[in-house]
Amino acid sequence: MMFRQFAYRNVVRNRRIYAAFFMASVFSVMVFFLYSMLLFHPSIEGSATQDMAVLGMGIAEIVLYIFTMFFLFYSMRAFLQARTKEFGILLHLGMEKRQLHRLIFTETIIIGAASIGVGTFLGYMFSKFFFMVVKRIVMLPALPLYLSWEPFALTVGAFLSLFIIISLVAPVFIQTGKLDELIRGETGGKESHGFSKLRGIFGLILLAVSYSMAAFISNNIIIGLIFLLPMLATLGTYFFFTDSLPLLLHLFKVRKEFYWRHFRLLAISEGVIRLKENARMFFIVTIVSTIAFMSVGILASLTSFASQYREVNPLGLVYESFPGNELESAHINRLGYELRKNDIDYTYVRFPILKQQSSFTDNTVSIIKLSNVNRLSRSFGNQAFELKEGEALFLPPTISTFEQLNKQIVETVLGESGVPVRINGAYPYQLFPAHAIGTNTIILNDIDFDKVASFVQYPSSVYHAFDIPDWQQTKNIGLTIEHSMTESLLTGTYDDLHYTFDNPGRNYSVIRTTFTLLLFIGLLLAGVFLLAAGSFIYFRLYTSLDSDRKQFDVLRRMGITDKEFKKIVNRQLIPQFFVPWGVALVHSSFAFLSLQVIWDALAEISIVRELAAVLIGFTIIQVIYFYLIRWRYLAHIRTPG
Amino acid sequence: MEKKIVELKQVTKIYEGKVMHRALNRLDFEAEAGEFIAIMGPSGSGKTTLLNVISTIDMPTYGQVIVDGMEPEALNANELALFRRHNFGFVFQDINLLQMLTVEENIVLPLTLDGLPIMEMQKRVSRLAEQLSLKEILNRRPDELSGGQAQRTAVGRALVHKPKLILADEPTGNLDSKSAKEVLELLSHINETERTTIIMVTHDPIAASYCDRVLFIKDGEFFNEIYKDERRQTFFQRILNVLSLLGGNVHDLRML
Repeated sequence: MMFRQFAYRNVVRNRRIYAAFFMASVFSVMVFFLYSMLLFHPSIEGSATQDMAVLGMGIAEIVLYIFTMFFLFYSMRAFLQARTKEFGILLHLGMEKRQLHRLIFTETIIIGAASIGVGTFLGYMFSKFFFMVVKRIVMLPALPLYLSWEPFALTVGAFLSLFIIISLVAPVFIQTGKLDELIRGETGGKESHGFSKLRGIFGLILLAVSYSMAAFISNNIIIGLIFLLPMLATLGTYFFFTDSLPLLLHLFKVRKEFYWRHFRLLAISEGVIRLKENARMFFIVTIVSTIAFMSVGILASLTSFASQYREVNPLGLVYESFPGNELESAHINRLGYELRKNDIDYTYVRFPILKQQSSFTDNTVSIIKLSNVNRLSRSFGNQAFELKEGEALFLPPTISTFEQLNKQIVETVLGESGVPVRINGAYPYQLFPAHAIGTNTIILNDIDFDKVASFVQYPSSVYHAFDIPDWQQTKNIGLTIEHSMTESLLTGTYDDLHYTFDNPGRNYSVIRTTFTLLLFIGLLLAGVFLLAAGSFIYFRLYTSLDSDRKQFDVLRRMGITDKEFKKIVNRQLIPQFFVPWGVALVHSSFAFLSLQVIWDALAEISIVRELAAVLIGFTIIQVIYFYLIRWRYLAHIRTPG
Repeated sequence: MEKKIVELKQVTKIYEGKVMHRALNRLDFEAEAGEFIAIMGPSGSGKTTLLNVISTIDMPTYGQVIVDGMEPEALNANELALFRRHNFGFVFQDINLLQMLTVEENIVLPLTLDGLPIMEMQKRVSRLAEQLSLKEILNRRPDELSGGQAQRTAVGRALVHKPKLILADEPTGNLDSKSAKEVLELLSHINETERTTIIMVTHDPIAASYCDRVLFIKDGEFFNEIYKDERRQTFFQRILNVLSLLGGNVHDLRML
């Protein structure tokens, strides 16, 4: 038998162990290949969104590569540990260590080559579908399937180098020290059952501190904490698994009236051992899951930002002109012409804005005319308002300020013109973007407005509002105005510009595609992470399968029914699956609490719904995964080795 | 005549597979309540299969098994497990203590499954610990025990629920002679004081000489049976005589 044949048979006959490892590797190769297919696509070039897509995929590829490296390292170690007995026999039979290393190298390369082959093949199969999804998101004209050597070369090169590195380093993991220990297959023995009370409490304190800081964070200090909190929480998580959890379980174990009940004795003591042995793995899984939850959650919340965009930006186009702007009428005519040319219905209202000092607060008040407001409001389908001479309404700068302003009645005299007004309540409809016309704005009845206007020579600015029901159609409107704005921004003459122009429809389409794309990339990454986290647990189970089997045999003789055995296995597996995951859930919930603070500051948007959806989705996947792995585990443990 | 606790009639066990193997062939066996019986025979003679059939882990291919008046074949898997749990205690060659439990927890394990009151459990454990001189080491882990201590713990686990029958598979197989003596004296003491029936599979004639009766089997069939006499020394000599007749292998004759 050739040496290589021996290695090959080892892999094929160990396929049950290799299965999870193989599956996770294949999936990550496949995703990597899909990203590369897009990176090298011949018809991708130019526009900002497409640059964004390429950049996003590029970063995702790097993340994927680094993560896969860690995943392979860890799996390989666990896997080789499970086979120490086998290696012991080989060494005993007189195999040289050099040969053993070559054996492991060959085996790893075989499995690596197989997963690269299958992953790339599946990737190419799915790339048409992948292109269709991306095309829809990025709104590219067409992405034909193409055949070129670059994506293949990148994928194969990247992963082959990865597998070679792993297989060169892997033999270090086998402690080839004492032969008899290897043969008995005792991997590291049962470590000490001890834990440090001090570190346990320290871990709990760290977590408590970072949670409460995340929960009660305020806007001012968040930037500083954003770097500090993750570090605190990571350290706290580490100690939580190595010391705090054993400490808590120990406190439970001391109380025999709870501990010596039915399966608790078995399940908890087993749990403590698993925890002790796998604390680091649980830590890694927790951090990986937290990152996965976070990335998807953040992206989902960005998508939610886009979908609530319309509420925040009710107007289709906004052009604001300041005194000294010679281009005003030319620009407005041009916008109107472009809209008509593209068959887009619109209502145009011109708002001259007057500024007066209020005798009541000594602050400057921006004033707009009621009839203008009513005209715009009608195009939204709202009722017209009526105000008598001497009456006015607050224009709430944001939706949330309406309640508060609506209760206020203020009597004041408008500074220079000396017009007395009674401001009674606030205007209920949201017509303008937040803070569009200053923070302190009133709507004045027409008679008084004209009086004030006759005192003031020029309006302090003119607000041109275009209400457009088909607001997403304005992607190509006002490009020249936007262009000259960008230009003056680049040349540093932005302050000399006497106008601003805003096209929410166009901004929206850019924001939306960017975020959907990021979400899509993130979901694929999170899928790889989840699969890997599950396969870590599977490996760990496999490493201890022999001793578990022996234990099962003792219990079976002792007279444990099948149902009871399932219960015991459940109680051992559920914590392994759901404790790291539950901690990750709590972590990300608190992280989102502090993120919400940022979102509140940026725009008044709630991300609760999106988050709930993401977390529920992950929960379902995790539960399915749990049942799958339990099924495999039970099957393995019942068949005698 | 005392009550029969185990009755095997014409039991045959055939393992199907790529190579068909007849492990037991038309074997009759009886054990009366309170007996201490050794089963001997060369390797592959079917000793362990016999023990497994008695302990209801294996069902015979033909023949009838009656344990404590019950036919295990009439029970479903669930009832069988409960039957085992309440009636049998097991002692194994490789001891098989659960590594994650302390000595005390290992002993109390069968009781926790049945949900006894905590006071009762503690009472039984402390009485057993006294009896097995395990009192000092109740809080140790199995990997901190000597072979003798570990096997005494296993005996404690087998006894704690007051089973009718203790089944021991080479209980001294992995022990040094001093620990082996300790464990055998313990078993025979329990047999005398508690009147617990013990069936023990062994290779070791010295171990067998502690029993009331030794059953020899060869190739799954009854070969011979001898009862103890006044002196252990002569009983031991007679066991050796049968073993040499039995042939077997050199390993079995190592005590000569």
